Amino acid sequence: MLKNLRSKLFTPWAIWLGLMGLILLGGAAAGIMVFWKGLGITNLSDRVPWGLWITIDLSSIALGAGAFSLCAGVYLFGLKRFQPIARTATFVGLIGYTMATLALILDIGKPERFWHSMVYWNTHSLLWEVTMCVILYLTVLMLEAMPIIANLEWLRKRLPKIAKLMSNVHHYAPILAIIGLGLSSLHQSSLGATYGVIKARPFWFKPEMSVLFMFSAIVGGISMTLFATMLASRLTPKAKTSDALIERVAHFVGYLLIGYFYFRTWDALATTYTYDPGRTEGLHYLTNGPFAFNFWFVEMLLGMIVPMIMLLYQPIRMNRFWRMVALLLVAAGVVAFRWDTNIAGQLVLMSYVPGAAITYTSYRPSLVEIMAGAAIIAYGLTAFSLGVKYLRVVDHTLVEEEHEKVHVKATEPVSI
Amino acid sequence: MAKQNINRREFLKLTAVGVAVAAGTRAVTTTKASSGAPKGEHQWAMVIDQSKCIGCGYCTLACQAHNDINPEIEWNKVVPDGTVGDKQVYLPRPCMHCEKAPCVEVCPVKASYYRDDGIVMMDYDRCIGCRYCQIACPYDARSFNWEKFTGANPAVPEWGTPEVERRPRGVPEKCSFCYQTIDRGLALGLKPGVDQEATPACVNACPTGARLFGDLNDPESTVSKALHENPSYRLRENLGTGPRVYYLPAVAEEA
Repeated sequence: MLKNLRSKLFTPWAIWLGLMGLILLGGAAAGIMVFWKGLGITNLSDRVPWGLWITIDLSSIALGAGAFSLCAGVYLFGLKRFQPIARTATFVGLIGYTMATLALILDIGKPERFWHSMVYWNTHSLLWEVTMCVILYLTVLMLEAMPIIANLEWLRKRLPKIAKLMSNVHHYAPILAIIGLGLSSLHQSSLGATYGVIKARPFWFKPEMSVLFMFSAIVGGISMTLFATMLASRLTPKAKTSDALIERVAHFVGYLLIGYFYFRTWDALATTYTYDPGRTEGLHYLTNGPFAFNFWFVEMLLGMIVPMIMLLYQPIRMNRFWRMVALLLVAAGVVAFRWDTNIAGQLVLMSYVPGAAITYTSYRPSLVEIMAGAAIIAYGLTAFSLGVKYLRVVDHTLVEEEHEKVHVKATEPVSI
Repeated sequence: MAKQNINRREFLKLTAVGVAVAAGTRAVTTTKASSGAPKGEHQWAMVIDQSKCIGCGYCTLACQAHNDINPEIEWNKVVPDGTVGDKQVYLPRPCMHCEKAPCVEVCPVKASYYRDDGIVMMDYDRCIGCRYCQIACPYDARSFNWEKFTGANPAVPEWGTPEVERRPRGVPEKCSFCYQTIDRGLALGLKPGVDQEATPACVNACPTGARLFGDLNDPESTVSKALHENPSYRLRENLGTGPRVYYLPAVAEEA
């Protein structure tokens, strides 16, 4: 009997949930400490006010971008056969954006005033625009995820009418996709512009920031969704995937990477076209200083060049394991880009004293920041695995009702 | 079919007109934020004469006391700024109260705002503590309240008595040109920059008279005269922020 109990308790699923639970508990403790004691217990400072949590916030929004990219592809550009992947992407997006919200609530000094940004508008502020877009887009994602949540067995059995109603939201998917595309284009690029408009820091102050953030988010977001899909299908029979679909999108990511690689390289190297105190020093810091490993190895080589080759070279792409590795590398590269941009820009200190030399500072996240950050990531992983197990989030055999057939009634023949 | 087309066109037209009107109204109401500080009756400014500054730091101490500042924070910082001849030169740095302030532009909730007299103010009750203003300030003029300031202020009472409330934990704070002194002084019919009771604490505390304060709109004010008669510069002027703190550079004494 004991043996029986042990085998029940120590299933991989139970161990996974237990591990995540531990990390979440640690994060909850860290979060309570932060709300109680204030941000003084973090390693953030007046030199580096935006640290690990802001990087997690930026990264989860970027990696959630698969939702708008794939929904736009499926519902606006008519690539209907990819619809099952768009479903997964919507769920990943919902998780990513809630992760970002969690990170922000932790990070702001007055979390109880978070609603101020909805009431006191400064339409001139990029951060205001990003906040509004993220709130609105989170609403869109929740609506888009309604049909997915309607798959919950319990809901279907106990409240069939509500489940049906939630499923029916699917018919509005094209409209939601348009709104989502608009909102995402706005805030994904504005997150880059948040840094791009800061004239006090020449390392950030450039117009291409917004385009880079947008482009890298699309590349990273699609990769993240595909990786999550493939990982789920490896680990559980609950996830039913069509590998041909994934392979096609992964091939497309390979081409996107060429563009991203070109653009990022040009952006970095063109930084030196003009000399502005702080800008060249920043580039030097990135390519030759403490960030050199991150920049050359993680961002450029592992994040772009290696996966580009792997995804464009058919024999490797066809191998599921290596394709997964390549997709994970892309996502990690985008996270490295966010980290490098956010932190490097703050470590280069510009002096207001005329003619003073540029100085540097350093930042290393504290234990509290790491514990809370890990818990935010653990929350994302837990939510995704629960979704796979109970909501058929990854199920390429599930075909949604065609929305056209239900809604449009042709009254007269259409001539083409 | 044809009828439907016209309807659609009209619908689109209406939408376009609607959007244009909405955008127009918004543009009119928001130009205030994007075009810099409003120009009121007074335009306060500070002039700091670097040839007179001896780096004693009295200005900082007076500031700490009058504004009840945490000793870990300095609204007014005095930093060394090279030498002229064999003399050490200093650069005292309050908030620049920029005409086109990056902090005001980036604040998501309008917690940083311009007063009509050009002072860049903080609404500590509205601020959410996102610290974007700190990221955006070119002059490092903002300090975040990482912890609550409790206990005694070491600068009190020797350097003055607090005139404003302590800021709560979780918001950034900065120099306000002692707006409370200016407002009270004006109400009493005094002249800021001339009458001590209406003048910022740092200006009053300076033992060498290196700091001048006054109204740029008044051609007879000490600041207007000083700027008219001497060469001056402002910090990081290339950024176009239009600081209201002017510096008279220290020059080598002629032998």
